Amino acid sequence: MAGTKEIKQRIKSVKNTKKITKAMELVAASKMKRAISKAVSSRLYASYSWELLTSLSERLDETTSPFFKEVVGSKQKTLFVLITSNGGLCGAYNSQIIKKSISVLKQINQNEIDIISIGKKGDHAIRRTGGSVIASFLDLPDNSSLSDMLPLSKIILDEFKTGKYKKVYIAYTDFISALNQKPNVKQLLPITKQDIKELMGALGENKENIIIEKNKKQTPYIFEGDMNTIIESLAEKLVRMQIYHMILESSASEQSSRMMAMKNASEAAGEMIDSLTLMFNKARQASITQEISEISAGMASVN
Amino acid sequence: MSKLLQLKIVTPEKLILEELVEHVSIPTKEGEITILADHIPLIAPLSTGDIVAYVNGEHLPIAVVGGFVEIKTNEKGQTEVAILADFAEHVGDLSDEVIEKAKAKSEELRKLALNNEVVDFEHFESELERSLNRIKIADKWKNRKYRK
Repeated sequence: MAGTKEIKQRIKSVKNTKKITKAMELVAASKMKRAISKAVSSRLYASYSWELLTSLSERLDETTSPFFKEVVGSKQKTLFVLITSNGGLCGAYNSQIIKKSISVLKQINQNEIDIISIGKKGDHAIRRTGGSVIASFLDLPDNSSLSDMLPLSKIILDEFKTGKYKKVYIAYTDFISALNQKPNVKQLLPITKQDIKELMGALGENKENIIIEKNKKQTPYIFEGDMNTIIESLAEKLVRMQIYHMILESSASEQSSRMMAMKNASEAAGEMIDSLTLMFNKARQASITQEISEISAGMASVN
Repeated sequence: MSKLLQLKIVTPEKLILEELVEHVSIPTKEGEITILADHIPLIAPLSTGDIVAYVNGEHLPIAVVGGFVEIKTNEKGQTEVAILADFAEHVGDLSDEVIEKAKAKSEELRKLALNNEVVDFEHFESELERSLNRIKIADKWKNRKYRK
């Protein structure tokens, strides 16, 4: 049996680890709350812009905006955006989304895919598999605002507008609850009417959604400026919004899975401390017993 | 008393204002327009500047950068003005400290923008526009009376 001194040292180090994991758990919990509240407060804007777009939707067919056009042709590539975290220690969060993306990517010819990676973990994983990464965003802050998204959405929109890509997919983690997150791959561009509906399903889980459907009777708007420009910039904003929302969802998922992982770690550390304490007591007892028997043996030999 | 209209200002980050107002002036791409109750439905892109709402004889200014305005009549027969802004802030929130920061930032951004190595151009451009607008609008309202 290990000496009492060594066991004591181990208990101390496990206790320190527990303190750290406990702190990380609390930090992750508060960050998760912030991300969720941001996602919720961005919903109002999303539902308004969706409303605007539906009012315009009957004219969508006339628009020449590339965002709504399905491109047919095999020459164009597919752009894939992968959202992961920068830090580790968050359970299966990264491996789940990476696994899911790789299985989706396998269905498409490797040469026809370009990848934009967000977060260190995904970037490393994709580079290992030899994917062609055209851009990586490794330093988005945890607590990002819409303006932090600008460079990212700009590169996606610009690349798409040049007609180089026929489709843009985005892989993110859907935040269902603090205990449940689901990796998800979605088509971001071109926008189809189906997509917009789905987006609203995801964004406006509240009743606002239904109200909007009811209000569908067309209002004869007059437009200041060119219709097409308005639709195009609205679509652009909606796409940007969608990206922002997905990043928020992902970050909420990341923080909650980190919270769970850290919670498990703290619990495991607690159990470890218990069993080590038991071991320590046994060792102490054994050494006392041994000492007593040695003393009594000494006494016996003197007598 | 004149008829009121429902004004809502939302940004991607939050709801800035939701209030009944008498009239509101909005900077659109084609010039400034003032909306009164019973305006016809209209959709227009916004430019940079300030939205001024008029409530109970008081001005209520809000600095805004980019976005859209949608005007329509809602179910209750009220005229509803929904403003979807990229950025919006109450002028009252623009304290001297914020202004100083905005000034410093716009200087810094201008320098950075000159540096061609900065790839993050889009970001800087919008930040610069926002900072400049803050300064401009805060200066404009400095010596005037308004509701905070």
